[in-house]
Amino acid sequence: MKESSLIKNVDLFLDDKPSVYALRDRAKKCLFDYGFPTKKNENWKYTDVKEILIRDFDINQKQCDGECCCKNKAEDSYFIEFCFCAGTLHVEDFVLPEGVNVIPLPLMLYEGEYKKYLFNAFDLKKHPFACLNGMYLEQGLCIIVDKGIKVDVPLLIKYKNTKSDNIQMNIHNVVVLEKNANLSIVEEFYSKVDNSYLLNIVNEIYLKENSELNHYKIQKESKKAYHIALNALKIYEKAKYKQYYVSNGAKISRNENEINLEAKDALAEIYSAYKVSKDMLSDITTNVNHNVLETSSNQYAKAVLEDGAKAVFQGKVYIAKDAVKSVGNQLHKALYLDGDAELCCKPQLEIYADDVKCSHGASCGEIDEEQLFYLTSRGIAKDVAVKLITDAHLNEIYSLIEDEVIREKFII
Amino acid sequence: MTTPLLVIKDLHACVGDKEIIKGLSLTINKGEVHAMMGPNGAGKSSLSYVLSGKQGYEVTSGEIVFKGKNLLDMSVEERAREGVFLSLQYPVEIPGVGVSNFLKHSLNAVRKHNGEEELDTINFMKLLRSEANSLGINPEMLKRFVNVGFSGGEKKRFETLQMALLKPSFSILDEIDSGLDIDALKTVSEGVNNLRNEDNAFLLITHYQRLLSYIVPDVVHIFADGKIIKTGDKSLAIELEENGYASFLKED
Ligand SMILES: Nc1ncnc2c1ncn2[C@@H]1O[C@H](COP(=O)(O)OP(=O)(O)OP(=O)(O)O)[C@@H](O)[C@H]1O
Ligand SMILES: [Mg+2]
Repeated sequence: MKESSLIKNVDLFLDDKPSVYALRDRAKKCLFDYGFPTKKNENWKYTDVKEILIRDFDINQKQCDGECCCKNKAEDSYFIEFCFCAGTLHVEDFVLPEGVNVIPLPLMLYEGEYKKYLFNAFDLKKHPFACLNGMYLEQGLCIIVDKGIKVDVPLLIKYKNTKSDNIQMNIHNVVVLEKNANLSIVEEFYSKVDNSYLLNIVNEIYLKENSELNHYKIQKESKKAYHIALNALKIYEKAKYKQYYVSNGAKISRNENEINLEAKDALAEIYSAYKVSKDMLSDITTNVNHNVLETSSNQYAKAVLEDGAKAVFQGKVYIAKDAVKSVGNQLHKALYLDGDAELCCKPQLEIYADDVKCSHGASCGEIDEEQLFYLTSRGIAKDVAVKLITDAHLNEIYSLIEDEVIREKFII
Repeated sequence: MTTPLLVIKDLHACVGDKEIIKGLSLTINKGEVHAMMGPNGAGKSSLSYVLSGKQGYEVTSGEIVFKGKNLLDMSVEERAREGVFLSLQYPVEIPGVGVSNFLKHSLNAVRKHNGEEELDTINFMKLLRSEANSLGINPEMLKRFVNVGFSGGEKKRFETLQMALLKPSFSILDEIDSGLDIDALKTVSEGVNNLRNEDNAFLLITHYQRLLSYIVPDVVHIFADGKIIKTGDKSLAIELEENGYASFLKED
């Protein structure tokens, strides 16, 4: 493997515990065997990470920016809040509803009970940045919702980096919804306008029979940030996963979903709304494996692309030989603002079963001149009119969110 | 004499390579209502676009002076803020943009230009509801997206509502009567008549005398092949309705 300055020697908590060391070592070996992705790697064809690999990002050693909201349930809060400050989980003392267990990753590693959920929802070999993440396995949350528990307060996980520059943050979360459980999780990423860092996050999510997870991801980060995320899922019988993602980009942003539909009537829906500005790259890559019969997936993304922006939308739907009567849809709609933007849209259908319903589509358009005329002829400034029209384009995604408080947060 | 509100002198305008306005002159004073009638394809809507500054309608010669200022130097939004309003023959649908959000942006842009305070949501909504009510507009319509799914008549009412809110000094109403049922025609006409005052003026583009019996014009123009070929008072519209365009076109 080529050297990368992202790989550092650091002392990690519990490195002296063989079972923990073994996990990290497994990830490290995998990374050394398979290497970081290059453009030759089909899955990374359009997203060149070279500029990340040469950066000498420090491993963050627990510096808090001092601005944390340290309470996890403020009296008047709509959410149960957790905060990663510059990559470090800040509160460890949680007040939680009955049946909801939140364990900081170090404690989870120490106790070992839930370790079976680590590196289990995805294949390390196929996810080099998840290997990097695994090497540094230390920061993260493990969220377990017990059988039959319907959690009516959404969890809000904030990832903020408002002070630190030039660091890498590796965060690894595990979410398990036991049978018949329900949960909403909001992930909110934000930083200063111009700090540069790598945020490398892995979420391993297990949805047991008939459980439901609404996963909201809001990304409002620095134009110089690098954001690499993997959401890896195993979804079991009748369980439902819905992801709503909004982003106004980063220098390079990749939101990757690796979804395994493991039992009948499992469902995954991924809704994305994103804006990309000049010199930024936004990549949404989703790989849905319909491993058994009668499973469904839907991917719908809407993009607004400014001059000089690059967007990548890769959606792969794999339907195994026995996965008859499965449904897999994907659709991408882009709106170009004036100038040149690059859009690489790669739908992929790999179908080995008969009697399935699959579709994919892509459309791109420019701002409608008639609409723009109508708005400006009412005195509205051109830039405001453009914003109204682009917001309207993305609004179709926001409007799918039922929770008003969360929907408000999505507006970018 | 006071300066006219609008003076158009020997205006020529093209769309692409095609000349559509071919030497049009027109003066409109404050307090006046002008009607413009003319055959399909004569260039009436094009004239309205030229006046509001729409991209693609290019003035090749002539001048347009509005309130003593050169209108042709202004962008679409500047003209609107100065008081030019165009009620479109075919209002545009904008899915995803809510009616009240749109109107609030619009009204506040105009107010700001006039040095007035911008309205907050509460006061804006009060005003909007009361204006909508007097035009017989169902408040449910204010929750929808701009023109999306509006019937032909609803679209025209909505154009009138915008005019009532913005109180422009010069309104061009391009076939405001098309698609309106008899009751709606009355309501919309009343709306327009209520707005008439000594400081503003209207240009009504229409094919039918009926509208002019509700909104009585001071001047009537016959517009054909890119210019005004005859000007008269309201009796000209009646004559036109009886005889059609043939006799006027021959005279030319
Ligand atoms: N954007 C355009 N591109 C090409 N031709 C155009 C365009 N706009 C107008 N025209 C042409 O210019 C001519 C005048 O059209 P305009 O819509 O102004 O007529 P009008 O007098 O309003 O007709 P009507 O009474 O049917 O509304 C027509 O021949 C029309 O096809
Ligand atoms: Mg017309």
